[in-house]
Amino acid sequence: MTSIPDTAASAWPEETARVRVPWHRRLQPANLLWLLLVAILVILIVAPMSKLVIMSFTDGKLGGWTLHNYVEAYGNPRHVTALTNTLKMGAAVVVLKLLFGVPLAWACTRTDMPGKNFVRLGVFGAFIMPPYLGAVGWILLAGPNAGWINRVWTATTGLNDPLVNIFSFWGLVLVTAIGGFFLVFVFVSSAFEMISSEMEDAANILGAGPFKTAMKVTFPLVMPAIIGSAVLGFLGAIALYGVPALISIPARYPVVVIQLTEFFSFPLRLEVAAAYSIPLLLITMALLGMQKLFLRRKGFVSVSGKGGERRVVKLGRWRWVMFGYCFFVVALSVLLPLIVLLLAAFSTSWTKGFSFDNLTINNFFYVLFEHSSSRQALTTSIGLGIVAATIAILLAFFIAYIVQRRLLPFSSLLAFLAVSPYVVPGIILAIGFYAAYALPPVGLYGTYIILALAFVTRFLPIAFTAAAAGVRSIHPEMEEAVRILGGGRLTAIRQVVGPLLKRTLAGAWLLIFVPAAQELSTAIFLVGPKTRVVSVVLLDLSEEGEMEKLAALGSVLLLIIVAVVAIGIKYLGRDFMLRRN
Amino acid sequence: MKHLMRYLVGSLPVLILATGIAGAAEMTQSEKELYEGAKTEGSVTWYVSQTTTEFADGMCRLFEQRYEGVSCDVVRASGQVIFQRLTQELQANAVQGDLMSTNDDGQMLQLKEQGALAQYAPENLKDMVPLLRDMADKDNYWITSGVSPLVIAYNTDLVDEADAPKNWTDLTDPKWKNQVAIGHPSYSGSVGLWTILMNDLYGWDFFVNLEENLPQIGRSVADGHNLVVTGERKVALSPLSLILSDSLQKQAPVAAVFPTDGALLPPSATGILKDAPHPNAARLFSNFILGPEIAEYFSKDYRYPLRAGVPVAEGVRPLDTYAIKSIATVDGIEKLQDVQAKFRDTFGI
Repeated sequence: MTSIPDTAASAWPEETARVRVPWHRRLQPANLLWLLLVAILVILIVAPMSKLVIMSFTDGKLGGWTLHNYVEAYGNPRHVTALTNTLKMGAAVVVLKLLFGVPLAWACTRTDMPGKNFVRLGVFGAFIMPPYLGAVGWILLAGPNAGWINRVWTATTGLNDPLVNIFSFWGLVLVTAIGGFFLVFVFVSSAFEMISSEMEDAANILGAGPFKTAMKVTFPLVMPAIIGSAVLGFLGAIALYGVPALISIPARYPVVVIQLTEFFSFPLRLEVAAAYSIPLLLITMALLGMQKLFLRRKGFVSVSGKGGERRVVKLGRWRWVMFGYCFFVVALSVLLPLIVLLLAAFSTSWTKGFSFDNLTINNFFYVLFEHSSSRQALTTSIGLGIVAATIAILLAFFIAYIVQRRLLPFSSLLAFLAVSPYVVPGIILAIGFYAAYALPPVGLYGTYIILALAFVTRFLPIAFTAAAAGVRSIHPEMEEAVRILGGGRLTAIRQVVGPLLKRTLAGAWLLIFVPAAQELSTAIFLVGPKTRVVSVVLLDLSEEGEMEKLAALGSVLLLIIVAVVAIGIKYLGRDFMLRRN
Repeated sequence: MKHLMRYLVGSLPVLILATGIAGAAEMTQSEKELYEGAKTEGSVTWYVSQTTTEFADGMCRLFEQRYEGVSCDVVRASGQVIFQRLTQELQANAVQGDLMSTNDDGQMLQLKEQGALAQYAPENLKDMVPLLRDMADKDNYWITSGVSPLVIAYNTDLVDEADAPKNWTDLTDPKWKNQVAIGHPSYSGSVGLWTILMNDLYGWDFFVNLEENLPQIGRSVADGHNLVVTGERKVALSPLSLILSDSLQKQAPVAAVFPTDGALLPPSATGILKDAPHPNAARLFSNFILGPEIAEYFSKDYRYPLRAGVPVAEGVRPLDTYAIKSIATVDGIEKLQDVQAKFRDTFGI
């Protein structure tokens, strides 16, 4: 990347030159911008995280250094069990997510399976459906005594014992997996779409059948994508709060997030909560480190994204079997829970099933007009989603531009900071934010600001990854042309880079808006009495056992999100999420 | 639809006028003063774990009707959760709630000892049922804002009356395996007190035996109650008022058993916070809870009215006709953390 030296870059020619510059001359706009970005990232990431670490070593009552928080956090065998349970659950979830995501990705990209669009739509539905709504749907489906599946089962077989019990380890695993396998699908299908058929052809010529080719050539080539999505899938699973709150308490399978809420109950033990989070943080960091190490040893240059023809595998009579499996996954993850949710939302009592005297719109009327906080919560959630997505994208774009164009020194530090929240589970991020900003002297408790800051941080990595890829794809020569013609850096951004990246950034905006409007894990400790988000209100409704009203409010949330996404798709084309890079 | 709108719009001024005149006519001098103060404050924020969201919202609407210009905001969560939130706010020096209503008066005592409560004796105290009035703080740091006995609920479609449990220990009978629902003492205030009561009556063995029946553990008592209503579980620990209003009003298949070894009667308590952002509105609301509107509202929902002379609804057994047990406030505080830890160890969650 040879660019015409500009003022920003030449402000730092050499060490020696810098020394001689008087301090006030160094206060040039570009340097100030760098300082500003660093300051923002310190506020968003460095301060809360270091506060978390410091707090874990601080004596809650007397101040001063101590290891006692760790003793309290891990001295009780029950607390250790919660951690090992979480790791077991995470591992099982990853296996299931791969079993769901990889075959679907392969079928949709490399085979002649029928109904590909239906499957893609189904996966997209899984992305839009918040995990806790999936969990509620499955409670209605597979509650041991009143769940639909079990009632049909006992009615048809005459047996007393339920067929399935959602309040169990495997129930927890299933519901967590269906709430997150779309990530595996997205990553792996884009990898499948990038490898050309040349190598598969070579295998065929050398006598390998379709199965052997797939096992020996195709899958090893997409391995990096599979491993990457497995790691992300694991991080997503262990950080989730809503599903365990709904399922693991009745299942009596304690996990870390539930244990953290115990430290957050009376008497509040923030220091112990901090200490308890640190090992989980280290585990996620180690996992990502291992992933990097593993992928570095392998050179997969064949996944180049260029050239080569991609032919689909002819499945023959297996194509309907494959579709059957895809349909099964879509039914488990979206169709079944969505249908029972909608049914419950329009019912007086969800157990009575579909009949005219059971049909009502009162639940919608209640959550839209009578419930004390659901309207405010809907506005807050949608507003926070918009604000968080917008700020994250803008911030990420500036950082990505500076990093990619190497406009400023130490820009790789900015890049590192921007992606670092990846390793922080949402609930732990919230504890860090609470510790750093909720209490005096900052005193942001109960404000929208603390929620917005935490949400921006949580979704900054996605924004940065998308923005950096976008900026990288634009050759600097067009901006240089602007500069030669006398335009400033900002003109170049406004007239050239901005318009070129509009679609990429808008796509990333939607990818952030959807999860941000549903976010629960980060919100649970940060909401104040008047800043509750929909996810928190939904959880409260579940705690009161108001499943029909919960279903109604959940449907309204889904409807709003679908509407926003539909507008987005209208302008971006429907492939904004599932397209290849 | 159009007719309805015209009817509503047409009658609106009359309604406002009527309630306005009635309200103004009934107001006492001190009430008027508080109302004036509350109007400048504009709103009251009420932290509730005593009732469900729906019921608390209804109380707020009645308040807003009587005191036009003062809006009432409900923040509802389960008992331990709302108490924790308040503690957090006290620690952060950012109290946002004006008053709190809970089923665990031990929380009130702790707040009082921390100096977090304001002393206030509402005017309407004089009209209260004496028994209920005397359950409150002697120094007027909190009032009794309700009594909701915890009893056993059973699903009438699935269980015959004769087979239903008769007392608490019946819940440990193996015939209820996989069929019991209870709340968690670390989330719910009243379940915390119930856990103490069971431990006092039968020792911890009660829970060891109960565990063998694999009860479904929810977060609140309302959760367990709804599990019985839907038929997910056959029997549960449940507040009497929920059972009565669901069975009598909504014809849900649920009925109450008054355990022979004593229904738990946690007096619900309401206290005003010393640093309440809206002190006048808070006092006005506290007085309103003891007023005639709420007494009638309680009675209509099969709760025990707080005012003397207001009859209980048909189908509600008067408080002195069945066995009742209470936990002394001080005991509640001393024993709670201990039973919470034991509960977690026994049930593993």
